[in-house]
Amino acid sequence: MKITVTEINVQTGEEIFYERDETLEEKNLRLQLKAKAELAQVAEATKEQAKAAAEGKLAALGLTTDDLRALGL
Amino acid sequence: MAKQTFTVGQVLTAAQLTSLQQTAMGGGSTTAKTTSYVLVAADAGTTVAMNAAGSTTITVNTSLFSAGDSVFIQNWGAGTCTVTAGTATVTTHGSLALGQWEGGTLYFTSSSAAIFFDISQSAGMTNPMTTTGDTIYSSSGSTPARLGIGSTGQVLTVAGGIPSWATASGGSLTLSTIASGSLPASSTLSLTGLTGDYYMLQIDQMTYATADSNMIMQFNTNTGSNYASISVSTTNADQAIYTAGSSFVIGSTTSISRTGTENGWIVEIKNSKNNGFHTATWMGRNQSASGNRAIMGQGYFMNATAITSIQVKISDGYSWTGGTYKLIGG
Repeated sequence: MKITVTEINVQTGEEIFYERDETLEEKNLRLQLKAKAELAQVAEATKEQAKAAAEGKLAALGLTTDDLRALGL
Repeated sequence: MAKQTFTVGQVLTAAQLTSLQQTAMGGGSTTAKTTSYVLVAADAGTTVAMNAAGSTTITVNTSLFSAGDSVFIQNWGAGTCTVTAGTATVTTHGSLALGQWEGGTLYFTSSSAAIFFDISQSAGMTNPMTTTGDTIYSSSGSTPARLGIGSTGQVLTVAGGIPSWATASGGSLTLSTIASGSLPASSTLSLTGLTGDYYMLQIDQMTYATADSNMIMQFNTNTGSNYASISVSTTNADQAIYTAGSSFVIGSTTSISRTGTENGWIVEIKNSKNNGFHTATWMGRNQSASGNRAIMGQGYFMNATAITSIQVKISDGYSWTGGTYKLIGG
């Protein structure tokens, strides 16, 4: 992967733009972060699905989450 | 009156009592000598004055006085009168050489030793100060000298072995904005030419293109496994520890919304120069698909050289579409 860089020298104000290749360490970190993000997304989706399923079961019984709170659950 | 030895039945005259009273009150009346003089036993308890234009001496010998006897010595003349140890010993904390109008008490601790208590009043130190805020210091031994008040903000220091006022250097930290602007349309912002000890990098309202990703930071374009950090978040999935990372992950480790306009960080960086142990602390607020979160982290960068550049980067290489940065340092 190419990485684009805008470099600014704070002493001179000179600004240059260039591209460079991603290093192996950067690639490993990028993939690690991506995998973690994907896992988090899957976990989030699973949690949402479970919540929706539970709410469906409650509705079938004629209950809402407010009813559960009223029961102290 | 000289020291007396009273006898049983002796009757004192009024003149004798008056003289005795004078003696008790400070030596009694005297007639000043005009030439050098050798103390005699009858001088005990009396005032011996010298009044000569030239130098004179008053000599102290043994076996004339008893322990507890005193002789009050004065110099009225312009010539210096020196109390001189003849066969007796004479010690003093002050000076045995008496200038005009100087004097003291010669007190005998034995028949052969005396202490001269110099009670002369010297002229004292001449005050060298002239201006409000001046101070006095010793320029050479006991010679007083004036140190004029310095300018506002100056501190007292030492140069060439004497005190002086100088502009403060080190020990204080003056912060100023070093660089600021919009985040560029690239995936990395590299700020180079850094020489300071301390930096604070602010990034506000960051947005970027393509897909949600992460925000990382590096120093000196170093992408080696030299970064160790820990970050915590208000979302459990974001907790992370990197013992040998290739950068600091300063944003949410489970990705940041690329379109959220409330993504921002403050990163403090301590440049330890050649100690090889640089530290960074960051705080931020990130938006993500599942809500906002607060991020806080701390880490160290192991590198034997000083930090001369800082890189912030979208980890997946996407380009910024909005946001600002400001680097403050000192």
